[in-house]
Amino acid sequence: MKQDTEYDIFDHDFVWNPFPAFDRVRESDCPIVHSDKWGGSWMPTRYEDIVAIAQEHEVFTSREIIVVPPPPGQLEGPYGGVKAPPITSDPPDHHWHRRAILPVFSPQSVATYEQGMRDFCNGLIDGFIDKGRADAAADYAQRIPVNVIARMLGVPVEMSDTFTEWVRGALEVGLTNPELRRANRLKIIEFFVGQINDRKAHPRKDDLITDLLVLRVDGEPAPLEYVIGVCNLMLVAGIDTTWSAIGSSLWHLAGHPEHRAQLRDNPDLWPTAIEEFLRAYAPVTMARIVDRDIEFQGCPMKAGDRVLMTFPAANRDPRQFEHPDEVILDRQNNRHVAFGAGIHRCAGSNLARLELKVALQTWMERIPEFSLVDPTAVTWAGGQVRGPRQCQVAF
Amino acid sequence: MCAIAAPEIFGSDDIGNATILIEGDIPADLEAKARRAEGNCPERAIEIVA
Repeated sequence: MKQDTEYDIFDHDFVWNPFPAFDRVRESDCPIVHSDKWGGSWMPTRYEDIVAIAQEHEVFTSREIIVVPPPPGQLEGPYGGVKAPPITSDPPDHHWHRRAILPVFSPQSVATYEQGMRDFCNGLIDGFIDKGRADAAADYAQRIPVNVIARMLGVPVEMSDTFTEWVRGALEVGLTNPELRRANRLKIIEFFVGQINDRKAHPRKDDLITDLLVLRVDGEPAPLEYVIGVCNLMLVAGIDTTWSAIGSSLWHLAGHPEHRAQLRDNPDLWPTAIEEFLRAYAPVTMARIVDRDIEFQGCPMKAGDRVLMTFPAANRDPRQFEHPDEVILDRQNNRHVAFGAGIHRCAGSNLARLELKVALQTWMERIPEFSLVDPTAVTWAGGQVRGPRQCQVAF
Repeated sequence: MCAIAAPEIFGSDDIGNATILIEGDIPADLEAKARRAEGNCPERAIEIVA
């Protein structure tokens, strides 16, 4: 049954709090709904359906993974073929696209960044702790992942604010503004083309861009489109996702003194608490493109249709999680899909978990007590990545 | 995830794929951790038999 509910993923109320809408759809006769808005898409809401879509990668392809179609002209021009591998890759190329970048994200590799992260977080807190208030999203969460990603790529950390602006232009504000999206995508690509050319002229060591340039695939250098694409992915997938998760977790803690006390009294809770924040406030929704006409759970999906993998909805499904709307810091069974599932499960999850842990622990050590200045003044971004963008707290 | 829940049982190789660190049956004192690894694997790749 095709039911047009005309949901709007950029609707203010939906972005601010999508969970009541997810619940209504999930518990209805038709837990997968369709909307013609923003280029048209299907929105499943049940855990089992979303995991099945993630695993059926031959039917639900990654030709496009953004929740709205690309702006006109994006696929043309010299960089029209640049995507964001491996997240935008399908088999068989997906295998080497992913294999090549996994070593930099292994638990052992990301651990080498931990002390630097901790020092950076402490430096941020030094900058505002005496003021008695700060924007937990803009002054803290937003600044942490971009610093790590810049160091991994070997690009200037002083450009962090610029990178953040580009990512928001390409993936946040740009999703409802095609011209902005196109322009910022090009800025990102042109920046990395410059970085690549610089390394070709002046070889360096120990950064990811250099690793990608010396990478050999069947004896040949990796295609330039792949190298630019991975750099693009590092920015667009590595920055606002994790910053949104850190921001949502701090927003939650600001409003829940009992959870702050729990973490203070029992630091052993941190590992399950991190997973629970990821479950309850999963930032990311990815899209898939249907390969051929199929009927999925009674829905007539056509080749080329867009399907949203609403991981935030899956993570609140009562069929999978007891008391799904409660944040339970010691939740024992937590098969959340904040990082997706199947062959495209987030390649950077070890890094994201480490950033989340270091950012939250450092904040809680330095600022154990804090609260929202005005809960109604918190602003949220949504669509592809949901998280707070302004979140003033007092301490 | 399993390497976080039960680091005595699961490790990870150079590309972050899970590896099993012990041979044979899981010692009784690690059973609870093994069950946590099972209950938290998003891919349902872990099954404790008997």
